[in-house]
Amino acid sequence: MFYKHSRRTATAVAATAATILALTGCAGSGPAAEGGSTFDPDKEVTVNFTWWGNDDRAAKYTEAIELFEKEYPNVTVNGTFTDYPSYWEKRTTEAAGGGLPDVMQFDYSQMDSFGSRGLLYNLTPEYGENIDVDSIPESALSVGDIDGDSYGLISSTNAWAMFQDKTQLASLGLEPYEGGTGWDDYYDWIADVTAKGGGVYGGADPTQRIQNFELSLRQEGENLYTDKGELGFDEGDLTDFWESASDIRKSDIVPQQRLEELNPVSGFGANIAASELTWDNFGAGYIADSGKSVDDIVLTTPPTSDADAKDLYLKPSMLLAMSSKTKVGAAGAKLIDFLTNSPEVGKIFGASRGIPASETQRDGAELSGQDANVLAYEESITDRLGDAPPLPPEGAASIEQKFWDLGKSIDLGAISIDDAVKQFFDEAEIALNN
Amino acid sequence: MTTTQRQSPPAGAPTGSAPSGPASNRRAGGRPKLSEKKRDGIAGYLFLTPWLIGFFVLTLGPMLISLYLAFTKYNLFTDPEWIGLDNFTRMFADPQYQQSVQITLVYVLVGTPIKLAAALGVAMLLNYRSKGTGFFRSAFYAPSLIGASVSVAIVWRAMFNADGPVDTGLGFLGVDVGGWVGNPALVMPMMILLAVWQFGAPMVIFLAGLKQIPGELYEAADVDGAGPWRKFRSVTLPMLSPVIFFNLLLEMIGAFQIFASAFIISSGTGGPAGSTNFYTVYLYQRAFGDLQMGYASAMAWLLLVVVGIAAFVLFRTSKFWVHYGGDLK
Repeated sequence: MFYKHSRRTATAVAATAATILALTGCAGSGPAAEGGSTFDPDKEVTVNFTWWGNDDRAAKYTEAIELFEKEYPNVTVNGTFTDYPSYWEKRTTEAAGGGLPDVMQFDYSQMDSFGSRGLLYNLTPEYGENIDVDSIPESALSVGDIDGDSYGLISSTNAWAMFQDKTQLASLGLEPYEGGTGWDDYYDWIADVTAKGGGVYGGADPTQRIQNFELSLRQEGENLYTDKGELGFDEGDLTDFWESASDIRKSDIVPQQRLEELNPVSGFGANIAASELTWDNFGAGYIADSGKSVDDIVLTTPPTSDADAKDLYLKPSMLLAMSSKTKVGAAGAKLIDFLTNSPEVGKIFGASRGIPASETQRDGAELSGQDANVLAYEESITDRLGDAPPLPPEGAASIEQKFWDLGKSIDLGAISIDDAVKQFFDEAEIALNN
Repeated sequence: MTTTQRQSPPAGAPTGSAPSGPASNRRAGGRPKLSEKKRDGIAGYLFLTPWLIGFFVLTLGPMLISLYLAFTKYNLFTDPEWIGLDNFTRMFADPQYQQSVQITLVYVLVGTPIKLAAALGVAMLLNYRSKGTGFFRSAFYAPSLIGASVSVAIVWRAMFNADGPVDTGLGFLGVDVGGWVGNPALVMPMMILLAVWQFGAPMVIFLAGLKQIPGELYEAADVDGAGPWRKFRSVTLPMLSPVIFFNLLLEMIGAFQIFASAFIISSGTGGPAGSTNFYTVYLYQRAFGDLQMGYASAMAWLLLVVVGIAAFVLFRTSKFWVHYGGDLK
């Protein structure tokens, strides 16, 4: 991952935060949304719009914005973007200063932090008025709800999946992991690939990722977080989970030291791991990193301890939201509508934002290549799809990062599992009560 | 300009009344009595106002607010909540904090002396008059000019990766350590090397200091039969001690605040296994990654206090080893 590169002295860091406070005062809750505004096509408006992503996504958004401006000649869209971690650093400081951009690409894990504080615009009155929601399934539409009102419109979905390189495996005389069997099966397969791989490993340690832990919890009918926003598991669950990979940790997985050097490219992206568990829309990134072709990649279902469990779910890969303090109202809503529903926009993005949630956009997307694989994958897992977990509480993003960091430290041998579990629960308590 | 000059009495007026006239005028008009010095002072402060406004509004004000925040729980969204000394007690129970303090201290205590020694060594080499000194001075200074930049840290990262030039070079020598970047045990030496390589700034200051040492002292030492080592110990070091003290102070404070290179080499994670989680990197993560602004403010203030104490101790020891011009024996 890339972070913003800047040199800050110790005091300057704190001072920056304090300056924002001093200059602008604390952000109060925004004024009540005056939804359902009427769009005046003759009024000249500038809409500030921001998203996270790489250059590829920026080029796509630029193209989409041009189309929008052609359709609404008096609306000018001012687009800016940055990478994911600094995206949230910027948004939070802006929120504190009361200056959030008009329209923002939003993440599921941040909805609660911003939405429940009155920082986001109530979109419900805009639905049917400036935003067409007829082609979005009801279950998907409600993911941006807080207390019955919608604060974010889902633009696309993704699901947890396993990527494998079947060409690489075939060249080693091996078959891809079949998917959907027990974790032990998968671990045996990893050991087998590593043994025969001649430098290619079966995979990285899956217990580094909180999503795999979530999967194992959901196989037992639990979730990472309860409805009340508390942790849905205890020390014993986590210890068991991390210990479950103790056997492959010795020599079967890609050594963490190699992965640290490759970062931000992953083991699968660097062609030294034959499989990797991640979100199903990451294919384009893998292809760019590794030089693999679409035909090399196969998407399979993750391992499960219970073949009948409804452990997978469709996650909103991103939402679009507006600032509660925006002055553009209807024009911003029109932009959200266009980006979500327009078939032309679907054609531009394919499945690179995830599978479009709106049917009109999905039909226009003409998904091909890796995008078609993703769509086929999401259609193939319907039997394993369960209800989406409760909206992650505030602090979830920082807990996810902590989980990952500790997993890496365990693999580096820098911390014992017991110490890591203790540290995780200490940190989680702070993050959830921050 | 003074009023007396302007109101010089007409010719023939009694000289005795001249001084009292202007004086009473001034009192009648209620104008403040300003000496020239005072007026200059006011003008000076007026010229300083832009800076003063900047200092109070952008530096001192935020610093004081961050001092307040250090005793609160504050996540940018909700109002700060007073929690007394909790942030400070938490630091002492926070294993990551302890690790970051530990590696920062190692970096300061090991890195700074090595960097200064390198700077002094090169400065002494460059002090000899020979062909091309101008070129070498620029060449050695160059890494410091570009050293703080993002690109150098990225290049550094590439150099020390597995199969990078350093790994390959060591392989030729029969030393097989693999990549340094991913190995928690080797990241610190790599970070110190990066710092040492940027010795240009102290080097230039050392060079200026060396030029100030009177040649007669070396001549006298020659006459007394002193060898190069003796001359270095008994002439160069004492004569240079004020400059060494200055460099030591600056470099130590700079080392405590190491951020950019560690941030880039670890891609902002402080990894592998927290081995580049230097104090300010950790502080930044706490503040902007986890939104624990109160905790981060407390960390910042503790750093300020610790650096202050370190500087104070350095000043107190200076009287034992720093010799200023007059007290040379």
